[in-house]
Amino acid sequence: MADFNITSSSADGMGPHGTKVGLLRVLGPAHVWALGVGIVLVGEYMGWNFAVGKGGAYAALIACWVAGILYTCVAMIDSEVTSTVAAAGGQYTQAKHIVGPLMAFNVGLYLVFAYTMLEAANAITAGYLISVVATMTGYEGTLDQRPFIILAILFLAWLNYRGVLATLTFNLVITAIAFAAIVVLFLSTSGVVGTGIMEHAALMEGQAALPYGWIGVLAAMHFGLWYYLGIEGTTQAAEEVRSPARALPFGTLAGIMTLLIAATLTWYVCSGVLPWEFLGDGVNGSVAPLFDTARLSGSNLLIWLLGIGTLFATLASANGCINDASRAWFSMGRDKYLPGWFGAVHPKYRTPYRSIVFLVPIALIFALGAPLDQVITFSILSGLLGYTFMPLNVILFRKKWPMGSIKRGYEHPFHPLPSIVLLAICAVTFFAVFLGYGTQLVAMIGFYIVVSLWFHFWRYRFVSRAAQFTMPWPKPKGY
Amino acid sequence: MQTWNLIEYAAWGLSAVFGLFMVVDWLKTDTSYSEDVLTSSREGEIEAMTEEHHS
Amino acid sequence: MAHYIPPKQSKIGQLIDVVVLVVLTVGALFVPLKLGLSGAAKVVTTPVESPTWETLGQNAAQAAKYEALGYTPETAHDLILARFDYSFTFGGLAAMIVVIVLYYFLMLKFSETEYREVIAEKFGQRGGK
Repeated sequence: MADFNITSSSADGMGPHGTKVGLLRVLGPAHVWALGVGIVLVGEYMGWNFAVGKGGAYAALIACWVAGILYTCVAMIDSEVTSTVAAAGGQYTQAKHIVGPLMAFNVGLYLVFAYTMLEAANAITAGYLISVVATMTGYEGTLDQRPFIILAILFLAWLNYRGVLATLTFNLVITAIAFAAIVVLFLSTSGVVGTGIMEHAALMEGQAALPYGWIGVLAAMHFGLWYYLGIEGTTQAAEEVRSPARALPFGTLAGIMTLLIAATLTWYVCSGVLPWEFLGDGVNGSVAPLFDTARLSGSNLLIWLLGIGTLFATLASANGCINDASRAWFSMGRDKYLPGWFGAVHPKYRTPYRSIVFLVPIALIFALGAPLDQVITFSILSGLLGYTFMPLNVILFRKKWPMGSIKRGYEHPFHPLPSIVLLAICAVTFFAVFLGYGTQLVAMIGFYIVVSLWFHFWRYRFVSRAAQFTMPWPKPKGY
Repeated sequence: MQTWNLIEYAAWGLSAVFGLFMVVDWLKTDTSYSEDVLTSSREGEIEAMTEEHHS
Repeated sequence: MAHYIPPKQSKIGQLIDVVVLVVLTVGALFVPLKLGLSGAAKVVTTPVESPTWETLGQNAAQAAKYEALGYTPETAHDLILARFDYSFTFGGLAAMIVVIVLYYFLMLKFSETEYREVIAEKFGQRGGK
């Protein structure tokens, strides 16, 4: 057995306190932005349009903005807590320090499932896109999408395995291209440059305005989350950014602003070109709405640009998902919430390599075995349970450690207003999911109740009590 | 058109290469380092260290 | 308070725990799927015989878009007329609310018990309790 050089000067400054091999601190704020926006931007390229199907184009716009408020609250709350609790695992580590172990275990699972399902959805979309390209270039048969789905997941897992800096630099480049593609599409079709092809008034005339009435607006909230789902994942990078207290709030808040712009532009161009029934059916109609909009623009350049943009967005998202899911899984292994075997760091690449490898077959099961809207719903539900946790988390955080008792890198304004708004919007979204996907919702919560009991009565015995509280904070108030 | 069939095979092949790389490297790493070193990472160590530097 | 020393878990035990979790996860997704309980299927409630763009309720601009996308009134029929059914029972809604609230309540309660233990061991008991 080779011994590892503990005193390496090229390493990350870890060493005392027992860590011989830790994650590497190499990332800057731009990487945090790329991680957050990279995961989410695919939501603009596919999936959000299910909201149109749920309630029409106007409903989707309202859902887009209400969900935008939800995520602005999420980003602010998250920035405050994470600028203080800077450790891999993000919300999981926050919950462990602020609410308690069982909550932390649940939050950790929310994260892993939300991201792994999203990764599966991305791989499905990438496979579909390649089959479209095959048809466009004159391939006659039906392309087998499976090798491309598998390749996407394995390539990105390999990239993640090899190191975080290359992974997120790759993400930065492809995310920037995908974002630029949306802006270019907007500029060239909206009439800002040249003649526009927007026909909002005619396409949203009569029954097409609000085809289901106001209940459709509520129902649209279900997929309204998809415009932004995953932005909270920036916190997973906490152990790998050079200065978490500064870079995390900056990257996260810049990310949510980018997404608000991208989401609104996307809604504008797509709803101005595609009739709502087609746009809203993400399975039989418009799987990739921005790409379809480009197709109707008649410009080959735009078709290629948005095709590439869609592919890049799916890859960037899957890439970020692998990064985040594996960090969350790794952190839980490190604390023995899961078998400690997962808490290993690769001595050369400095990545949680066992977690990365373990989650590959899980993602493949879902990518190859379940339909897209189910996978998306599973992901949204896990995300939603997580967003419901956040306001509880921050309220307890402010109660147990009032302002001034510990140093906060960022303090979110108007507390507790954002928490109350967030809780209220979460309740609305639960209702929206209930309309149509009630069974999944109950199945999902049933699953979390079963694993919670499993954790409380069995698994928790392997966790050492005090050692999991790692932040250098004073004793919480009231204990 | 034959090209796409070839691309399909290439995708299978590349998937196998990436998968094999990870599995081989994983097994190699697990056998050449002790479990204590691999799982020595502890949460919050950086925070503890910066505190020390500041004071 | 005495320090709690967790038992060391054997390799086999670790493996069993992982298998349990994976089985539960896959089950949660695929059981509703296999039972056919999942998802809101859209249905066409009032089909139109030999449809035209007009009878499908499409104006000239909308029809032009469908044609540009390669649809005819026949192929677009199901796509345009399919609708979700948003009717629900208040019993179902009440059941969902109870399940969600109960879930969060139980979780916060168990967490609190575990958390007090953590804090007590980390910072020592208050007032020599």
